[in-house]
Amino acid sequence: MELSESVQKGLQSLADATLFDLKTFSVLIEVAFRSLLSAHADRSVLDQPEFKRLDQKLLKHCHTAATTYILEGVKQNADKSTISACLEDVSFDVERTEVFYTTYQKYKSDLETLLSSLGRCPPHINDVSWRLEYCIKNGHVHKVNEPSYLISLNVENANNGGSSEDVHFSCTMEQLQDLVGKMKDAAKSLEKATQL
Amino acid sequence: MLLVLSDEHKEHLGFLPEVDSAVVGEFGRIAVEFLRKGTNPKIYEGAARKLSVDAETVQHGVEGLMYLLTESSKLMISEVDFQDSVLVLGFTEELNQLLLQLYLENRKEIRHILGELTPSLPHYHNLEWRLDVQLASRALRQQVKPTVSMKLHLEESGGVKSAKVLQTDPATLMHLIQELEKALAELKTTHCRRILRNIK
Repeated sequence: MELSESVQKGLQSLADATLFDLKTFSVLIEVAFRSLLSAHADRSVLDQPEFKRLDQKLLKHCHTAATTYILEGVKQNADKSTISACLEDVSFDVERTEVFYTTYQKYKSDLETLLSSLGRCPPHINDVSWRLEYCIKNGHVHKVNEPSYLISLNVENANNGGSSEDVHFSCTMEQLQDLVGKMKDAAKSLEKATQL
Repeated sequence: MLLVLSDEHKEHLGFLPEVDSAVVGEFGRIAVEFLRKGTNPKIYEGAARKLSVDAETVQHGVEGLMYLLTESSKLMISEVDFQDSVLVLGFTEELNQLLLQLYLENRKEIRHILGELTPSLPHYHNLEWRLDVQLASRALRQQVKPTVSMKLHLEESGGVKSAKVLQTDPATLMHLIQELEKALAELKTTHCRRILRNIK
């Protein structure tokens, strides 16, 4: 794992028992993980009673270093040996490495879910609503007497902060059968692929 | 149900008995062509010169035919009703038969053309799909995320085609299939069958 100088310095400070005793260190690591998972940026995240006596600039630097390191680890799916080796390089003792790794395991899968949801993708379908109607006549043609479906695909565009741009279209029964048939083909090949 | 023709309409159509049935046949063909592709005033002038009448008279005659055809097709009137409606004009039996044939041969197509005028949403044309597995992204490496990409082809009533690229995950795909199958099953219920049978 490649870490910038600033992150390395921050981690080295975290390893320093004269700056952070073990308890304060543990609290800071826990806070770092939780702040990554909370939905809103919380300004008071560092307002823990254990941090009152610390130099605030140092505290912020170490928090940033910790969160950057955590994200890098989750991104690369780092295992215990990679993490231990890396933390050893920044002078972490065995106890602190253990504390870090335990917390890492606790929060890893949630962080993975969070990271996998980032990124660009085509508009994502979430749901579908449908309406069946029977057209009797309209202004231009009388005696139409045909059923038709109105389908709305509820689509979420991740790029615009999750705004929905629904796709609406109408179709006859045959067309809907065609659509469902093709979707079932896709589902069948999904099933086959999972059995490989 | 009988067609009610206005006096002005009857006057315009009054030109038709004055010419050969071959010419009326030609006018009929022109009327349908105009309904398909739009009017072309030059044709009126050409015909007017050949028949030694006003271009305006020719125009009225053709437009009268067009209106007769669209109104009859819109209401989908039966053969008998059409013949009775046309009887009012006092044409010869031969002319009436000609007009009837013109109506019967073209009404399906004319109804289709009229149908394009109605307000409607784009309708389904085709669906292409593809299975992908996302392996990595900038934010997270070593993933195995299956996704289904789809290209939905839609067509507007004017023939304008559009295609939308969409994506979904396997669980949502199963849900979509379930919901849409429910929709299809609705048509087969007693309630729907009763309505479809009785409103004709």
